[in-house]
Parts: sequence; structure tokens; C-alpha cells
Amino acid sequence: MPLLEVERLSKGFGGVRAVSDVSFALDEGELLGIMGPNGSGKTTLFNLIAGALSPDAGRIRLAGRDIAGRPAHEVCAAGVARTFQLVRPFAGLTVLENVLVGRLYGRARTTTSEAVTEARRLLRVLGLEPRAGEPAARLTLIDRKRLELARALATSPRLLLLDEFMAGLNPVETATAMELVRDLVAGGMTVLMVEHIVWALMDLARRIIVLSAGEKIADGPPAAVAADPNVVDVYLGAAVERRTRA
Amino acid sequence: MTAGGHERRWAIVILAALALLALLPLTAPRDDVLNFVFLILLAITLAESWNIVAGYAGQVNLGHAAFFGLGALVTRMLWTEGAPVLLAMAAGAGTATLFALVIGVAAFRLRGAYFAIGTLALGEILRTTVGNVLPEISTLPAATIASYRLTQRFYLALGLAAVSVLAVAALATSRLGLGMRAIREDEEAAESSGVGALSLKLTALALSTALAGLAGGLFAYYHISYYPSHPFGPHWTFDALLMTFIGGVGTLQGPVLGAILYIVLKEYLALRWVDIHLLIFGALFVGIVLLLPGGLVQAAERARGVLGGARRAA
Repeated sequence: MPLLEVERLSKGFGGVRAVSDVSFALDEGELLGIMGPNGSGKTTLFNLIAGALSPDAGRIRLAGRDIAGRPAHEVCAAGVARTFQLVRPFAGLTVLENVLVGRLYGRARTTTSEAVTEARRLLRVLGLEPRAGEPAARLTLIDRKRLELARALATSPRLLLLDEFMAGLNPVETATAMELVRDLVAGGMTVLMVEHIVWALMDLARRIIVLSAGEKIADGPPAAVAADPNVVDVYLGAAVERRTRA
Repeated sequence: MTAGGHERRWAIVILAALALLALLPLTAPRDDVLNFVFLILLAITLAESWNIVAGYAGQVNLGHAAFFGLGALVTRMLWTEGAPVLLAMAAGAGTATLFALVIGVAAFRLRGAYFAIGTLALGEILRTTVGNVLPEISTLPAATIASYRLTQRFYLALGLAAVSVLAVAALATSRLGLGMRAIREDEEAAESSGVGALSLKLTALALSTALAGLAGGLFAYYHISYYPSHPFGPHWTFDALLMTFIGGVGTLQGPVLGAILYIVLKEYLALRWVDIHLLIFGALFVGIVLLLPGGLVQAAERARGVLGGARRAA
């Protein structure tokens, strides 16, 4: 049984069909990439899976259990953790406290002293331990992304949703971030990632699905997806059009 | 949680100060001294209770007076009918909390300014209703007045202030308090980290209104005569808000310091400039929010930072 099954999922905002009849499955330990141009419904799809939005139709099953329409904190307790496209650490809490929230409220729910130990371990893994006592507001962008990742991992997720984790990073930082993701997958984590930086996604994922105007137009290994005429049309067609207009 | 040591130290300092105050009645002070300290203790309870919802869970409740008023109303009714005062106060607090939970389920659907306006309306609705239903002044019977002991009220106020400080100290260092602070910082991110925002906000409101209800009960036990709608007046809410912001919202010691400064200043200003003292408070509040959003606590931290910097430079 796949860990995540998305079945005929749809969500509209007014007259706009942001996600339309999308289905896919994700196996345990797999890294699945989602790509698509701006406004193709990637973030909406993410918000539906994470429980931030309720679908109009369709099912989302995590290890066989339907989680569609459940509130975000229940989805988290069921084992789905996420990071945000625009990072959202708890700015007024310390770095350690940020991670403790995930540990004490997520799927793990250990005692406080165990939680502190585990939170410190995660901070050490992500290289944030020296800053444990500082307010999160003082961190740089890459460190905030590390912190969000630590907070998400602290909940002991079965599935990790990364929403444009590389956005806003310089090439060196992007390489660091890719290393982090690779390590996670090597450690057995199941990851679903939306990414704008196509080469990073091509490099990390062994399977990619492509969304366009809310619909899934391709699903397969990176090379096959990149060669798919529909995908080329959506990406390069638009680019060529822009160039001719300019 | 990491700031736990800090909060614990302050809790000890404040409780030690309150313990010292317990000796005050033994020195046979004038009644006006006891009355003055009583007002400060009541203010500490009110400010700390407001601070739980605003400072920890991050929700600005402008209907706090409703719960103070309900506590006063129920306590006064039961106590004057012959119930023991502590039992009457417990019933008052219970009523306030129950009402808060019913209201909270609806009100917490509102966010930010809408929650603030909604709760403000709630307080005003209750005040007007109570004013209409019970327009007569409530005065204690002559027999009760004859046996009135200020010292009892004073110790009750002292105990209640200590309970409030202990409650906030426990909250500040607990898993529960951490979850509330996460909601205050970013509700959506808290939810996706597993924090059930609605149930935590309701817990904060229940704790806050239980203390406000007890404070209202103390008010009803203390005052010889008042209009039943008086404890529902919006100034109870705004006093708590001002004290909390002046001292430092979301800290343990802030509301205590704010309450002391506020009551002292209010007595002094009211004596000298009877009518314009409210204007002065308004200006003070605007100044603090603009220049020192963290209140006295932040001012002290900054001063320490500047002094520390100067020492390092020297």
C-alpha cells in the first residue's frame, strides 16, 4: 500500500479550478517532486494535503486513512509535516522552543525532557545548535529554513511536505539545502516537494508530476517528464511566447 | 521553556514580596493604606488574568469586564443570600468560565481586530442588560456592615494575586504555554506543527476568565455598595490592558509591575488633576505602544543592554 494516495482531488476558488481531478500515489521512502508554472495549483495541492484547505471533492489517504478535510493539527498528528513557501518560524520564540513545539505537539508527543534532548539533537544535525537560545527572528533565511525543517522533523512525520524549500537561496545555499534533503531521503523519509528550481528537482527526485492549470499533465521519471511534449509546451511554449511578445 | 529559569526567578521574587505584604495588617496600618494595597492586589489579579489570553495566546480580549462582572454578580447574590463567601466566589468564577467557553467557541472564529471588537460588544451587551435588569444599587445589609473586616478582604486579595502569579508562572514554563505562544506567533504554522489552536485558545480563555471571575467575586465581597452594572464597565477591561502593556505583555512580571505603577500613578494623578488624569494615561499608553512595545520589562532589558555595553567599552 502506498503511504500517500491522492484520489481525484479538486479545489476551486470562486470560478477558478485551482486543483482539478488530480490523482497520484507516493510510496514509503520515495521522493516525489511536483513542478508546474506559476498558478498551476502546486501550493493549493500542498495546502489540501496538509489540511490548511479543505477539498471540494476527492480523497487523501495516509497509510490507508482518509485525512482529507481534517484540520491541520490532526493531519500533523497523523504524520504529515510541512515547511512553508515563505518561511514561518515562530519569530518571538527561541530556536529551541520552535523545535520543541513540533516535538511536544506533533506525532511524537514525548515528555518534556526527552523532547528537549531530541530537539537539541535535531538542531545539532541541522547545524543550529549554537543558536538554540536565540530568538528565531535573528536567523538568516537559510537558517530559518533549517529551523522550519527541524520543527517539521521534530513532529516525527511519516511524510514531509517541502514547499519551495530552495526558493530565495543562493547557489551555495541551494547546494546545502539539496544535501539536507538527500540526507533525509537516505534516512528513509518520504518527501513530497514542490520546487521552482527545476534542475534541483530533476536532480533529487526519481519521479516528478507536472501540474498545469490545476491538472496533472505528466507523471514519471525526470528524463521522461522533461521530454514530454505537453511539459515542454507548458514551460518553453510560454517562454517562447514571452520572448516574441517582448 | 528555555526561559523557564527566568520566569521561575521572577515568580519567587513576586511571591516573596507578597509574603512580606502578609505582615502588613500586623503593623496595624491605617485603613486607607490597606485599601490602597488591596487595590493593587486586585489589579495584579486582573492584569495577569488578561495577560494569559493576550500575552500568551495572542488574542486581544476586550470583553474581560464581562467575566469580572459575572463573577461579581453571582458572588454577591449567593453571598448576600447566606452562602459562604469562598463558595460564592467559586460559583462566580465557574459561571464566568462556563460563559466564556460558550462565547469562546463562537468568538474564536473571529481573528485579530474582529475578535477584539466582538468581545468588546459582548462586554457592553452584558453591562447594559445588567443595568436594565438590576438598576438598583446593591448595598450590604446593616448586620454584614457591622461585622465587616477589611483584613479578611486584604488576605483574600493577597491570596488571589499569589494564585494568579503562580498560574501564569506555571503556564509560562509548561507545554501548554509553549503551544499558546506558538499560536500567538503564527496560528497557521502552529496548527501545522500539531497545535490544536481552538482548544488551546479556549483553555487560555477558561483560565483567564476563572481568575477574572474570582477577582470579580472579591470586588463583590469588598465593596459595601455599588451598582450591579459597575463591575461590567469597560474600564475594567482597559485598566487590565493598560497595566499589562505598561508592564510588558506576555511576561510574568510585566503585569505585576504595570499594576503597581498604574494604581500608584492613578491615585496620584487623580488627586492632583482630577479630570485630565485619563488623558494622561491615554498619552502614556500611546507612548508605550509606539516606543516600548514590550513595556517596562523591555525598557529594563534595554537599559541593561546599554549599561552592559558601556561597561564592556570601559
